[in-house]
Amino acid sequence: MSSAQRQKIKPTWLGKSLAGCFLGLALAFILVAFFAWYGAGGIDAPDKVQFNMWIIPLLWLTIFSFTYLFSSAKNAWLTLGGLNITLYSLFIILRTWL
Amino acid sequence: MRVRADILRTYQGVHTWTGIITGLVLFIGFYAGSLTMYKHELAQWAKPVSAPVTKPYTNNYQTLVDQAIVKYPEQMGNGFSLDLLTNQAPLSWYSQGKERGMALDNQLQALHINQQNNLVIQQQSENKLADLIDYLHRTAGFAGEIGHDQSGVYILGIASALYFLALVSGVIILLPTLIKTFFAIRKEKGASRFWLDSHNLVGIASLPFHLIIAFTVVVFAFHDLIYDGLSAFYDDKSFFQRPAPAAHNYHIANLPSIDKQLLAAKNYATGYEPIHIAFNRLNTNSPTATLKMSNSSAVVRGPDTDYLFLHPYTLEVLNSSYPQGDEGVWGNIVGSFFSLHFGTYGGEWGRWGYFIMGLLGAFLFYSGNLLWLDKRFKKDPNKRSTRFMANLTIGVCVGSIIAVVATLLQAKWTNLYIENANYSYLYSYYLVFFVFVAYTFFKGTHHASYWGLIGIAFLSAGMGVSTLVQALLADDFFKYYQSGIVDISAAVFALIFYYCAKKVRYKSASYAVMPA
Repeated sequence: MSSAQRQKIKPTWLGKSLAGCFLGLALAFILVAFFAWYGAGGIDAPDKVQFNMWIIPLLWLTIFSFTYLFSSAKNAWLTLGGLNITLYSLFIILRTWL
Repeated sequence: MRVRADILRTYQGVHTWTGIITGLVLFIGFYAGSLTMYKHELAQWAKPVSAPVTKPYTNNYQTLVDQAIVKYPEQMGNGFSLDLLTNQAPLSWYSQGKERGMALDNQLQALHINQQNNLVIQQQSENKLADLIDYLHRTAGFAGEIGHDQSGVYILGIASALYFLALVSGVIILLPTLIKTFFAIRKEKGASRFWLDSHNLVGIASLPFHLIIAFTVVVFAFHDLIYDGLSAFYDDKSFFQRPAPAAHNYHIANLPSIDKQLLAAKNYATGYEPIHIAFNRLNTNSPTATLKMSNSSAVVRGPDTDYLFLHPYTLEVLNSSYPQGDEGVWGNIVGSFFSLHFGTYGGEWGRWGYFIMGLLGAFLFYSGNLLWLDKRFKKDPNKRSTRFMANLTIGVCVGSIIAVVATLLQAKWTNLYIENANYSYLYSYYLVFFVFVAYTFFKGTHHASYWGLIGIAFLSAGMGVSTLVQALLADDFFKYYQSGIVDISAAVFALIFYYCAKKVRYKSASYAVMPA
């Protein structure tokens, strides 16, 4: 198999859709969690919690939409899963010890 | 712009499937959403209010409230509303049901002071036509409740998430040909090309509107769940700070005057005028006064007005939905999300703009379905699943419109004879809708779309005619004049639908799904 062929994206609907749906949502939550604590205004800015809630679906759906660009479902799960694990771990470390 | 062929193919798949799954429910959501922009005018059209009993703004609210407190201390202590704009009885409370929720048999006690300075109390049932249009918009007609929301709200929430995917994928598959063919509406290349060009033009031209609607609907449907999820990332700080209730109960006898309440509200920010005030739990330790504040020159956050929450005894402002200064940047952004969905930022022109955009949105879903059907029919004209989808598309789209027009007409006549016609609205909508869907499956798309469009045209024309007939028979025909805009719009739509019907008629039966 040549490298050009290998990079062609396969649709693999179910796998990518599930990754986008669940891992995309988890990723949206953790990105907003970082923003809530360490982003502009900090955790106590008035009404920021409402903004944070609103922005979660926007992030989620954007990630979801572009999940189909992964070359395969496996790749989508590995990349999004890896990002999630890294960010959640980092968040727990920061919140527990700092 | 060049996009790799495999990416295009993938997103074509995403676009097709998300579109075909959600198209029909979103069609109803969008055109009913257009109607909600004028729901109060429609309700007023269906049940014109009779002669005024009071003059707005010149009314002495304090005398009314004082007399009502003396005569009905218990009911008034539970809470009451004061409508500052109406020329009907301004003071009211619910004797059955409550303000929120979707009960069709709510009973109101409405009070006013007559010319002899006596307190007059009347039982009223609420005309729910405007709320039912709103209900159709938010649920696409799916009945049933889950938790404190209608199940249809969640269905539309899921549909909207898929619709977001459809939007993004639709733009991606258009990228390679976007610049060349954006404004090209090619009629000479056949009906399907014409519909495809129109579909693309409407989709791209109103893309920002559609992205906003898609993601705000997801929030409206699932905000409780998202808040629950988000709270896991916050520590023990309370998520929303609520003022602690006072140590003692208040009593309505000590309620400051209405003028003081209104003054406190006006002093909070310039430019805002109170138009409605609702008092709640006046004899408890956590009383509130909710004021609807109108400001025609500002972006308001509710569907019609901004809100201000007062402590009715201390006259402190507890909360508001007003745009805040630099401190309130987050609240302001959230406020603008609401306002972008409700179309409450552009005055009267903005309202018409949203009305048209909503209809164009409905067109987007309808044309999308037609394109899908056309492609399938070309591959295999006899496939049963395609035939089924064709029937469903015509049945649901044409059926839901004809059902609403028929219900409006029915409402206008039933209201002449029945005090609470709310249930008749509901029955007539579902009856006409399901009868028409069945008719489509029975008779086929060609026949059903022709007669459906003719039906819509004649029923719409009947709206203006009904107004005319009722006005001629009534003693005061001025009240029919106030909703004239509804009659004029209905006449315009009657012509448009009649024209569409003519177009459909001369198409060969196999291409009936695509009139052009």
